[in-house]
Amino acid sequence: MKFEKRRATTKQEIPTASMPDIVFMLLLFFMVTTTLREVEVLVDYKLPEAEAIEKIENKRLISYIWVGSNKRIQINDSIVSLDEIQPIMYAKRQELPNVIVSLRIDRGTDMGLVTDIQQELRKAYCLRINYSANIKI
Amino acid sequence: MIKKRKIKEAEIPTASMADIAFLLLLFFLVATVIDVDTGIGLTLPEYVPPEEIKEVEVPKDRMAAVLINENGDVLVDGQPTSIFQIKNNLKPRIVSKIDLPSNKKLIVSVKTDRKTNYNPYIQALDQIKLAYFEVRDEYSLQNYGKKFNDLLPEQQDVVKDKIPIIISLAEPEAVKR
Repeated sequence: MKFEKRRATTKQEIPTASMPDIVFMLLLFFMVTTTLREVEVLVDYKLPEAEAIEKIENKRLISYIWVGSNKRIQINDSIVSLDEIQPIMYAKRQELPNVIVSLRIDRGTDMGLVTDIQQELRKAYCLRINYSANIKI
Repeated sequence: MIKKRKIKEAEIPTASMADIAFLLLLFFLVATVIDVDTGIGLTLPEYVPPEEIKEVEVPKDRMAAVLINENGDVLVDGQPTSIFQIKNNLKPRIVSKIDLPSNKKLIVSVKTDRKTNYNPYIQALDQIKLAYFEVRDEYSLQNYGKKFNDLLPEQQDVVKDKIPIIISLAEPEAVKR
């Protein structure tokens, strides 16, 4: 008796014709959602932790101010002094009336400096601020 | 005699298309920053020049003064407490003022020294916000059977109106510069 191997006659391949399309779709998604990092952070900072945290819905409205552990203040790409904050932020506010200022301040900073920055922001009418903090687990 | 010429079909090889797309995809995957900006939101008061500042009397029972000194010690209305007690301290006071008109709601005033560390300040602010959020959640659960975040926008407005978050940042004394 002759045994014959039974084989399926259908093709055993995964159709890959649509693969580029799928990949392009993924690619498009990432391209749209990507916000490339525009600035290089020149100060080092460690954010405080908090629980009652809100997300900022609109990333395009945010303008950052960094304060490093060595008390240096950075806006945009450069280290600035305290007196320079007001004109810079005022210009930003004129460009973007409802700007949210995200303060990325090192956890070891003195409140004196923080208040000084806040005073400058008040003078520049940038009143919406956000103390950047990480989620406490 | 005419030569019959077979016309080859012109085709662009598409076999490598997927590879190219994958490469691009990889680039964007790596370049994407998915750090959602999180933090404690606050609205600063408008700047008023020092000579135009008007002192407004606020009844004592409306105020909750949170003081943080340079060692990170906390006083709530003159009583020394730990930072993590602020929430429990404030919650009943916020709850008791839910039904009062809007000009009688609780005001939380946060005051620090110039030498106070930033971290305890954020912790205290966090506690205050938590107290408000928890009261809002409880109120929403009682009245609508849902948490605050799941409510409809109109309902959220009602709750926000009932329990407004009023945090006043006192300026540290200039003397201690």
